[in-house]
Amino acid sequence: MKKAMAKGLALLMGLSVLAGAASLPVYAEETELNIYMWGDYISDDLIAGFEEANGCKVNLSFMSDNADAINKLTAGAGSDYDLIMTCDAYMESLINGGYLEELDTSKVPNAEANLNKAYWTDDIHNYCVPYLMNYIYVVYNTETCPLDEITCYNDLIKPELAGQIGSVDGARNLFPIALVALGYDPNSTNEDEIAEAYEWLTKYNENVVAYGSTEQNMVSGAISVMFTYDGNTAWAMDQMGEDNPLVIAPFTEDPVQLGIDLYVMPKGAQHQELAYKFLDYICDAEVMAANLVEFPYSCPNDAAIEAASDEYKNGPAFDFDYKTNIFFQEDVGDALPVYDQYYQMLKVG
Amino acid sequence: MNRSSGTKKKKNRLPVLAQAGPVSVWMILFVTLPLLFIIYVSFMTRGTFGGIEYTFSTESYRTILDPMYFSVILKSLKVAAVTTILCLLFGYPLAYFIARKPPETASKLIMLLMIPFWTNGMMRLNAWMLFFQVNGPVNYVLTHLGIVEKPVMFLYTDWLVNIGLFTNMLPFAVLPMYSSIEKLQKSLLEASSDLGADPVRTFLKVTLPLTFPGIFSAIILTFIPALGTYTVTDMLGGGKVLYIGNIIKNQFGTIRNWPLGAALSVLLLVITALLIFIYSRFAGIEDMEVV
Repeated sequence: MKKAMAKGLALLMGLSVLAGAASLPVYAEETELNIYMWGDYISDDLIAGFEEANGCKVNLSFMSDNADAINKLTAGAGSDYDLIMTCDAYMESLINGGYLEELDTSKVPNAEANLNKAYWTDDIHNYCVPYLMNYIYVVYNTETCPLDEITCYNDLIKPELAGQIGSVDGARNLFPIALVALGYDPNSTNEDEIAEAYEWLTKYNENVVAYGSTEQNMVSGAISVMFTYDGNTAWAMDQMGEDNPLVIAPFTEDPVQLGIDLYVMPKGAQHQELAYKFLDYICDAEVMAANLVEFPYSCPNDAAIEAASDEYKNGPAFDFDYKTNIFFQEDVGDALPVYDQYYQMLKVG
Repeated sequence: MNRSSGTKKKKNRLPVLAQAGPVSVWMILFVTLPLLFIIYVSFMTRGTFGGIEYTFSTESYRTILDPMYFSVILKSLKVAAVTTILCLLFGYPLAYFIARKPPETASKLIMLLMIPFWTNGMMRLNAWMLFFQVNGPVNYVLTHLGIVEKPVMFLYTDWLVNIGLFTNMLPFAVLPMYSSIEKLQKSLLEASSDLGADPVRTFLKVTLPLTFPGIFSAIILTFIPALGTYTVTDMLGGGKVLYIGNIIKNQFGTIRNWPLGAALSVLLLVITALLIFIYSRFAGIEDMEVV
């Protein structure tokens, strides 16, 4: 009895090896696409539409921090993922480190036709496809803000704003505004300049009530000024109703930070053809316009904005006139630990 | 009766391995090895891009010597001490009160004390924030009763952080003290008063010394977690003031300096070990009263 069972098992094992070999050609036609990105950031309908059009299954996994994606990419993620979301700030290091596949952009004609080249710049053009973007700007409540107007970053360190500001956190979000306020490059790698920016930020820190949860604090009335993402502003304005007293600070000269979330293909990605198809699909004007209904963020896809609903186009969180006066977060290389050091000092106080 | 003694005999014969084995494996896998790994990582180098480079370095420990970290540790010790003192001041009378009730009432009261802990810690903190926010219920009542003119900003103050830590830690202080006080023999107190001691003297000379192991356990059980906590200070403190727990968390998160985070964790371990050592001078570990 036992012998028979052993024989049966051996036969089964042999068969499964054969079956595996036989099924190899079938797997060569790509039926699976593995994507690693932020959670709650792409429409389920869009994914379902792509799956139906291509007879495939899209597996989404989600990150909780930008660092997660970087860790995956630098550890060699090609065997696990076909597309990974990261942001413009890391592109230079990722390209130089050889962690990314160079893209054949002729395979993404929709991207070539529709994406605004101001955001899909030459230096990153062959390694990524931009998805959505976010501005980090200043918003205030006209009824409760002690200042009549905020027109530059230096207004934020005025003593009148003590205990009034809610702010996003993170060294690479905070130091650039200080550097801009001081007249330096927002991506400075000069330690003296970073040290000066630290001094500026200690004054800013005195006015800040809390880091993070800016939109909730604005809605609950805990703060009257917030330095935050446009998406958070959209939420706060929505919560406070149509006649909300929130205005986007009318900045005159200081540029604001624009972050771009983009897809890259990790070196050695397994399902590249399908990944190209996906990238081209999301750059289709109608597809992206539908996605913007659910995720009304800033978008680098001009044709999609054209095709988007009036509600999106007239969104009050995007109603400001200095959209092109921007700076990007660039790779600061070896200066990153310097930033971290001063950021730590700032927070320890 | 025969049957019960039979099972008892069987239990005694269970090999030691079966009794202590699973726990030992668990502890080695999930406590000892990770601890050793943390100590190992603390002697490695930070990669520019975050991550760990496996080259030996004492840089992280030299960084800790920076006065900045010293001040953070001092600040953390202070907030943990305030929390512990509050827990003792409010916890001891409460434990005394519960211990003097009949057993059924006492167990119900203990249960009441534990009920908030049936929910998730983050939920409790979020509830606190909603409760105390500018347009929240507390401010609503205060302004409508005319006690204050303008809503009070409770959130993101040291006051609220301390209250938050205190409420989170209170049960851990009450339970060991309750267990100590409950064991206290009434006859000793009667003897003390028969011999002419007034209640204050009886409390200071009899009750307090006899319940000391419970008090010390309460100190250990509140001080150590309060020292390492970061969620309470993060949420109720608005991420503005960092304690040692927050700094460690940041090293593994946004700042991505794992070796420094590991070195700070080792430092926290040393402080904890020191406390346990002091405890063992005052009372045996086996006296540690935990319910």
